[in-house]
Formats: sequence, structure tokens, C-alpha cells
Amino acid sequence: MPFLQLANVRKLYPNAAAAAVENFSLDVEAGEFVSLLGPSGCGKTTTLRMIAGFESLTAGQIVMDGKAIEEMRPNQRNIGMVFQSYALFPNMTVADNIGFGLSVGGSTKAAIQERVREMLALIKLEELGARYPYQLSGGQQQRVALARALAIRPKLLLLDEPLSALDAKIRVTLRTDIRAIQRKLGITTLYVTHDQEEALSLSDRVVVMNHGLIEQVGDPFEIYNFPRTAYVAQFVGTLNLLDAVVVEPTTGSVQIQEQPAHTTSLQDCSPGERIRLAVRPELLALKSTGQADENRLAGVVENIAFLGAVVRIQVRVGEALLALDEFNNPQLAVPAVGSPVFVYFARSSCLKLL
Amino acid sequence: MRRINWFAWLWFTLGALYFVLPLWGTLIFSLQKRRGVLSLDAYSAALGDPRFVETFVFSNFMAICTILASLLLIVPTAYWVHMHLPRWRPVVEFVSLLPFVIPAIVLVFGFIKLYSKPIVLLGIPLFPSLTTSNLSTNLLLIAGYTVLSLPYMYRAVDNGLRAMDVATLTEAAQSLGAGWWTILWRVILPNLRTALLSGALLTFAIVVGELTIATFLARPAFGPYLALLGNHRAYEPAALAIVSFLLTWVAMGLIDRVTRGTRDVVAGSH
Repeated sequence: MPFLQLANVRKLYPNAAAAAVENFSLDVEAGEFVSLLGPSGCGKTTTLRMIAGFESLTAGQIVMDGKAIEEMRPNQRNIGMVFQSYALFPNMTVADNIGFGLSVGGSTKAAIQERVREMLALIKLEELGARYPYQLSGGQQQRVALARALAIRPKLLLLDEPLSALDAKIRVTLRTDIRAIQRKLGITTLYVTHDQEEALSLSDRVVVMNHGLIEQVGDPFEIYNFPRTAYVAQFVGTLNLLDAVVVEPTTGSVQIQEQPAHTTSLQDCSPGERIRLAVRPELLALKSTGQADENRLAGVVENIAFLGAVVRIQVRVGEALLALDEFNNPQLAVPAVGSPVFVYFARSSCLKLL
Repeated sequence: MRRINWFAWLWFTLGALYFVLPLWGTLIFSLQKRRGVLSLDAYSAALGDPRFVETFVFSNFMAICTILASLLLIVPTAYWVHMHLPRWRPVVEFVSLLPFVIPAIVLVFGFIKLYSKPIVLLGIPLFPSLTTSNLSTNLLLIAGYTVLSLPYMYRAVDNGLRAMDVATLTEAAQSLGAGWWTILWRVILPNLRTALLSGALLTFAIVVGELTIATFLARPAFGPYLALLGNHRAYEPAALAIVSFLLTWVAMGLIDRVTRGTRDVVAGSH
């Protein structure tokens, strides 16, 4: 039985035209790190807040550790939460903030001190226990918030865009630390973010949400390489979308901008049907010749953007504009803008979207 | 640039004269009890009067009770409105401003009319007449003062709540297992310290000088004593007015000190 189970959860705010969360079902195993990924307003934070108990459910059920929790008050759920704005108590020192949950729970002074020391060591801020939140940097404050949430030994850890308020470098180090701490403690974790890189790099599984609905659940590899819907494909990573016409479903033969091509995913299509194919930029290559089973599209270079490690080249193929990435190296022969080129890609890298 | 400075100084001087001249006059007058020389006679007479000590202590005690009562009433109310009834905020704000519109005399007559008889609801006696004993009349007095202090106290608490992220702090405390009272007592109140102190000092200033309610409830408060003194003596009321001003300034200085400390804290966070 999964550790956390959300079954057909729905949230409709009063006077709202559409539900904020609709038919949300998800099983999370003990010790798993699951991210809810989507743009703002997609219902990911609402879902997290329903699990924490800050929002009521319109319908559905949430079961944690074998117990239905949707009727329980937030302070009875034993769920640790980390907020985007840190939410440290300004009137308390770092140590008092971390010990707050334990002192509310009636732990002895000695036990609280011991746990606070342990937590400060965990977040590598041993010497800052006596400071006040305003004396810390944003990254340090968020570490303290994490320690405070973990100090009460929660059954579940919820993180609501915990890195959004921090600058890029600290975001990367802190997210690595969060994952390391989560692995060390083996705590089941739900992480809300709108940043796909964060979700893909941290999670065991990613739940992509849109308009209150789950679009796809899968591990990062699956979400990135095999997006099930056009929405997931576009939201996660950069993607080339190609309009195509089915020629022969059994052989996977299609026409892209009136040029012949093949794909491997045409099981339930009929000849003449218009479909949409997707290819990642890093799976396209500019070559003069390719292998016989590779797709080849003729086009004209329209733009070249130097992005450091990667050079992004845009090629016009009929009405479509394809972006493709080449790894940068000093020997790289970049074609001139306006020159005719051939774009090659494997049949299997070209996916049909739902 | 110079022209603007000149005007600024002109208006500042005019304003300062408007406030300082009457004070200066009162101060000089209060020092002239002994003919021909400046002396502190009026001060020693006023402060040495046993009724001064009695009424001043009484009013101070009433002020402290009022501050406690209004804190108990207003902090949970304002917090609840912030958290759960944000749409009602304008209504509550309007109610909190009513004491500015309804004169104290109307309030105290309402009190006397309603509470001088036993209150009976559907044949069940709820409580006896409140104007028959000193204790119960003092309670009425505190209730009246609480109403008068409402605009200042509510505004102070409301501003304090607006200045912090009440909702997220509350949720953080809840997720750590805290109930409503723990949150109010250990998270919200300590962070409202500055706001509460400003509200409390304003309440204190209002209560200590209040005349109407104390007079009509016939309680030995400082306000009625000051008025009585003014009817019979010339120099002592002036001396007491100066003493009151000094007390008020000390109170203002305290507010400024405390709030300046907070500004430093906020500035330090950036």
C-alpha cells in the first residue's frame, strides 16, 4: 500500500468557474521524492495545501500511512512544510525557530537542545543558532526553515517552491543539499515547483499539471524523452513541433512539409490523417550524409545563436522552423545564415503527440 | 532652491510658535504662584495634594486595566478578521472609528440607562445593576475607556498585522503542531510588540486625561480632579497641565525609541 494516496481529489473555490484541482489521483511510496510541476495557476500549490490541511477538499480522499487525513486539522497531521517566503518567526532565534515544533509538542528542554544541535549540523549552520532570521541570507534562512520542518520528525515533507526567492547559484547548491538530506533521512517528500530543471534534477517522479489536471506522471527520463501530450512536451524542455500527414501507418511513413519521413509511433492512425510530431533539438543533426534509415529534411539556415556550451541553429523547413543544438567546440563548422542544409534525425526520436 | 528653504523655515517657525507659545505661557504662568518671583510653589502644592495622588493612581490603574481589556478584545478580533474574514475588514474598521463620531457623553448615558437596572432576558436575570458598587462601576468605566481607545488600538494592531505575513507565519506554526492560542501567544503577539506598545501608550494618554465618562460614573479619576481644580485654583491646573505634557512627551519618546529599533531590524534584513 502506498504511503500517501490521493484519490480523485477535487478543489472548487466558491464563485470560481472551474475547479482549481480536478480528479487528482496519485500514489506516493514511502521515501519517494515526487515533484508537482506546472505553470502558476495549474493547481500544484493548492494540491500541496490540501495535503497540509490549509485548504479543504471539495471531493476526494487523502490517505497517509493508512489513515484518512482530510478531516484532520493541520496541526494534527505531523506534516513538515517549507514555504517560498521561509516564514521563519522573526521574534525567535534560529535555535528557537528549529525547536518551536518540539516545544509545542511538549518535549523536554534537553531533548529540544539535542535535536536543535542535530538539525543545525544537518544544515551545516552549527554556529548560527543564536542569530535572528534577519541576520541570515536568504539561502541560510531557507536551510533553517527546512531544519525547523524536519525537527518534528514529520511523516511527510512538503516544499512549496522553496528556491524561487533565491538567486541562481544558491538555488543549485541548496537543491542538491535538499535532495541529499531527503535521501539521508529517507523522508517521503512532495515538492512544488514551476522550474522544470529543478523538478527533473531532484525527483524520483514528476507530476506535470495543467489547469488543475494531471497531464503525465513519470520519472524524469520518461517525462523528458517520452512526453505523452503536446503540453508536457512543450513545458518540459525545448521542443520542435512538426505538422505531418500520415501516408502509411503500418510502415510509419509520413509527409513533413511535403518531404517524406518516418516515425515509429503511428499505431492507431489512418492514411491522410493530420498529426503533430515532436523532436528535441539535441536529437537533430546537420550532416551532408546520414544513414539510410534516418529521416532527412532539406532546409535553409535562418538564425544561429551562440549559447556558450551549445550553439542553437534555426533551420527553415517549408513553413516549419526547426531549432537544433550542436555542442560547441573550437573545430565546429557552423553553416552560414541562408545556406541550404540537410537536417537528420532518427525515426525513433520523432514522437507523435496526443 | 534657496527660496523653497526660506518658505519651509517660515512655515516651520509659524507652526512651532503656534504650538510652543501657549505652552510657554502656561509654563511661565505655573511658575508665578509666588508674587514677583518664579517658583515651583504651584507644583509642590499640586503634587502634594493627597487627592492628586489618589486620583492619579486610580486613573493609572484604570489605564492599565483598559489596556489589558482592549488587548484581549482587539488582538484576537483583528487577527481573526485578517485570517478568515478579510472582506469584513472595512466594516470592522468602520466600527472601530465609531467612538470618533459618537460623543463620550452619549456613550456614558447609554451605559447608565442600560446598566443601572438589573439586566433580564426572557425572565432570566443575567446580571444585577452595575452602578450600585464601586467595583462594578469601575468595570463599566473600563468598558467605556475600552470603547474610547478602540480607534487607536485597532489601528495600531491592524497596522502591525499588515506589516507581517500573518497567514504564512500562522500556517508555518500550524504545520509545526501549534494551536490557535499558542500561535497568538508565541508568534503573533511578540511580533506585534511595537504596534501594541504604541496602541497601549495612546490608550494610556487618553484614559489618564478622560473627563466625561469618569465624571458621570462618579469615579475618583484624574480627569475630573483636574477639572475641579481648574474651577477653584489658578496656578495648580497650569502646573498639572505642564506635568501631563511632560508625561505625554516621555510616552512619545518611548514609542519613537521602540519603533526606531524595529526600523533598524527591518533595514538590517536587506
